[in-house]
Amino acid sequence: MSRNIYQSLNSFLNRLERFIFFGHRGQPPLELALVGMPSVGLNAPNKSDRFSLKNLLGDGILWAVPKHRRTIEKRLNRKFGLPGYNWKPLVAKTNLRSCNQCGHDHELGVLCPHCYKKVEQETRLMQEKIEQKLGLEPIEHEVVVLYQGEQLEKNENGSNDRKVRVVEMEKPRPVWFSKNLMQKTTAQPADTKEVKPSNLG
Amino acid sequence: MNQADVSKLMSQLRIAVKPHRNLRNPDGPEGRLLKLRKTVTALVKHERIELYYNRADEARGYAELLISNAIRYGDRHKATMELADYWLLEKQLVHKLFKVLVPRLENCNFSYTRMYKAPRDYPGMYYRKSVLELRGNPYPSLLPDYTNNRNLIHNVLLDEARKDYRREKLAELADKIASESAVNAEKVGSEGDAKEAENVEKA
Repeated sequence: MSRNIYQSLNSFLNRLERFIFFGHRGQPPLELALVGMPSVGLNAPNKSDRFSLKNLLGDGILWAVPKHRRTIEKRLNRKFGLPGYNWKPLVAKTNLRSCNQCGHDHELGVLCPHCYKKVEQETRLMQEKIEQKLGLEPIEHEVVVLYQGEQLEKNENGSNDRKVRVVEMEKPRPVWFSKNLMQKTTAQPADTKEVKPSNLG
Repeated sequence: MNQADVSKLMSQLRIAVKPHRNLRNPDGPEGRLLKLRKTVTALVKHERIELYYNRADEARGYAELLISNAIRYGDRHKATMELADYWLLEKQLVHKLFKVLVPRLENCNFSYTRMYKAPRDYPGMYYRKSVLELRGNPYPSLLPDYTNNRNLIHNVLLDEARKDYRREKLAELADKIASESAVNAEKVGSEGDAKEAENVEKA
């Protein structure tokens, strides 16, 4: 106990002494510096301690350092690649077009992803329905898919004897998948009547 | 000179056949053919399938050959029946080939199948995808619909006809409104006269 108190008191006195003589920067106070004498704290380069690899390395060894200089051509090839083989920088694509139907971008010669997705989903629904309907029986007739509220088209002579398997989709026909080329020219007349304002004074 | 004309001995494909691909398979050539048989079967069954480009392109030729032989020789030809039996793994599709596809495609002047390049997710996998379909299928068309192109001659004519029709209808409507308003004005005028007469009498 007494030893601990002695040690802490001693260290406090040491610190106080250092602070009085050298200040908080670890250097002697400016008043005590002599003119013309080299300052101790500035660590002036000693002429005998020149840079040498021997001093730096000591007994160590160096691993895997370049032995020869890489030529500029090699360096550029490593950085950018070769134009014919592996060109690393980004290159602008010139084979992109916008779809005439939906306006989404697509590669030239490749189906438009937006339009294709729509068709694909409808096709999958139809395929599921057809597979469900046909089952494992031998397929002997053409399949006709009818949407909600549609009827089988009749033959030229008016009879309905076309041998087809009818598959019904339980939903109305999508607008974009329409067999009707004509569009509606006029809107249906409205059922509602004009109501004149009343009680206006 | 006395050799038979090869083109008449076997049916000519209506598509450009690309060089044979080595579709790799652990089971060797048999496995490869099984893969192609599965593809041809799926094509005849579903009429539109999406798959990798190489496999679709390879299977397309066999499907074309099968259909063209079926059209050419009919179902009473042993070799064609064996071919159909080989390529179609699900046997109900043999009926479909001869009873549905032959009547549908016998007057077709182009290839019996169509192949489109399908879009891939960017950057996606390296393999290209494609859609393979039979002609005359019931599904919505994959080709862009140009029927609404304003510059097509029938659309120009239809637009003009539509405009004329609207003009006529508007003229009729205007006439109707004008006649109605005239009748109303007359009524209002006669009523006003009667009121004035009453007022004069009261005064």
